Amino acid sequence: MTAPVGVLVLPGRATARRWAGVERARRSFFFGDRFPEGYAVSDRKVRRYLALRAVVGPVCAVVAGLLGLGAVLVVLVVRGVVQGSLGWGELTGQVVLGGVLLFLDLQGLRSLARLDARLAGECFGPSGPELLRLRIDELAASRAAVVDAVDAERRRIERDLHDGIQQRLVALGMLLGRARRGRAPERTDALLLQAHEECRALLAELREVTWRVYPSALDSLGLEEALGGVSERCALPVRTEFDVAGELPRPVETAAYFVVSEAVTNAAKHSGATKVHVRVVLRGPVLVVRVRDDGAGGADADGSGLGGLRGRVAALDGTLSVDSPAGGPTTIIAELPCA
Amino acid sequence: MLAEDSTLLREGLVRLLVEEGHEVVGAFGDAAPLPDAVAAHRPDVVVLDIRMPPTHTDEGLRAALTIRQEWPGTGVLVLSQHIERHYAARLLAAGAERVGYLLKDRVAQVEEFLDALERVHAGGAVLDPEVVRQLVVRTTHTDPLTRLTPRERDVLEALAQGHTNAAIARKLHVSLSAVEKHLAAIFDKLELSHATGYNRRVLAILRYLES
Repeated sequence: MTAPVGVLVLPGRATARRWAGVERARRSFFFGDRFPEGYAVSDRKVRRYLALRAVVGPVCAVVAGLLGLGAVLVVLVVRGVVQGSLGWGELTGQVVLGGVLLFLDLQGLRSLARLDARLAGECFGPSGPELLRLRIDELAASRAAVVDAVDAERRRIERDLHDGIQQRLVALGMLLGRARRGRAPERTDALLLQAHEECRALLAELREVTWRVYPSALDSLGLEEALGGVSERCALPVRTEFDVAGELPRPVETAAYFVVSEAVTNAAKHSGATKVHVRVVLRGPVLVVRVRDDGAGGADADGSGLGGLRGRVAALDGTLSVDSPAGGPTTIIAELPCA
Repeated sequence: MLAEDSTLLREGLVRLLVEEGHEVVGAFGDAAPLPDAVAAHRPDVVVLDIRMPPTHTDEGLRAALTIRQEWPGTGVLVLSQHIERHYAARLLAAGAERVGYLLKDRVAQVEEFLDALERVHAGGAVLDPEVVRQLVVRTTHTDPLTRLTPRERDVLEALAQGHTNAAIARKLHVSLSAVEKHLAAIFDKLELSHATGYNRRVLAILRYLES
């Protein structure tokens, strides 16, 4: 960056950044401003801010100083009244004048405080149009993620049908075919018995698959019952705490269900956990779903399953965090806004 | 020798083949050990699923092509989840001896499956009846199939399923010379030159698979 001609003193880049850091801390500490972490500020913006602050700061000091001067004048007037050296007419004049000046001074301070906040906001946080752009990016990303999640879901269903149901059906057909070709009656009987068993297993598998596609209990009995179904189906002991008073929006219920279902399935399949704890709590307008297992950790937060969940949650403007250090435990928290 | 990732189906196939008097020299859950096993045992026929771990795409097909290239004397019968003409074409591109492409569901039709296995073993080419049916029902105007008479289609269907001329004649209850006449007409309509050294029967089938 070359310094533009005509500027007398320009702080170096590092110095400017340091000052800006001090300024940012000042706003956060005294005024409680919250700026987005890791927000990248251009050097130009920092310089502009510092230049404006170099004007606003002294002006602020002057205005505050005037307030102090006013306080001194008030003391003098009061002393005059007490000593009787001030007449009523003069006192009234002083009070009116002082009042007007005090009003102007306070007005000035208020405006300067607002200007300071605005300048800091523009420099250290995204501006209105920028916020809008960020939101659009976020929506585009979450929309793409939803499509991905739907595709992943379909692939899973296809695999379920292909690996389970279809293989079983073919095997069943083979058993019946062998039974028909059987030469000895007792051999035929044994094969038919096997085929009958296979039929039962096939029906059970079909029930499982349809449940995994969409748990119908969710519509008829609600989230709590559907979650009960998840823990019944899980090989691990699942403790479920459900603390929600009142109705939840349907999309939130569905998303919460799939978060729990996927997380519990992962825990049972991959983590080597011995127990799972599920907590579903409504905190104000946000439904918080937490699934914790005591397994070995190391869950892949961007794997197909969790990635799909993230898309589903993001579509509702929610967040999904996965904390799974090597050695465990794994905690998955989804926050779903219900408004 | 078998390669099929579903344990249930693999076991069933082994039992069926043993009951029918065949000897199963190896049964695997994926395609990786096949080349070594084929080299060691030299089986007559390898039956394998197209979709197998790790990627569940076309491992089986690639293994089948390798086997055909390295051990041409070994028959290959590929089982496929759906009809993929592209796969069938790749499989037949290297010639039509000792090769078969069947829908997986065909295994449940025990007789048809065993028959296909026998024909592959005997050196023929077997295409699933469903593949042929799909080819025959397509009736676009550019499709040379539309120029075939119904009888010629029947002959082609039987041909694609890997039957010999004599078997086609028996199947359709016509004389052997009638079959030869139909075949000549089919090759003619498909513009398959008589001068090529390729097996025209295969070219006829490939022509459809690729059209």
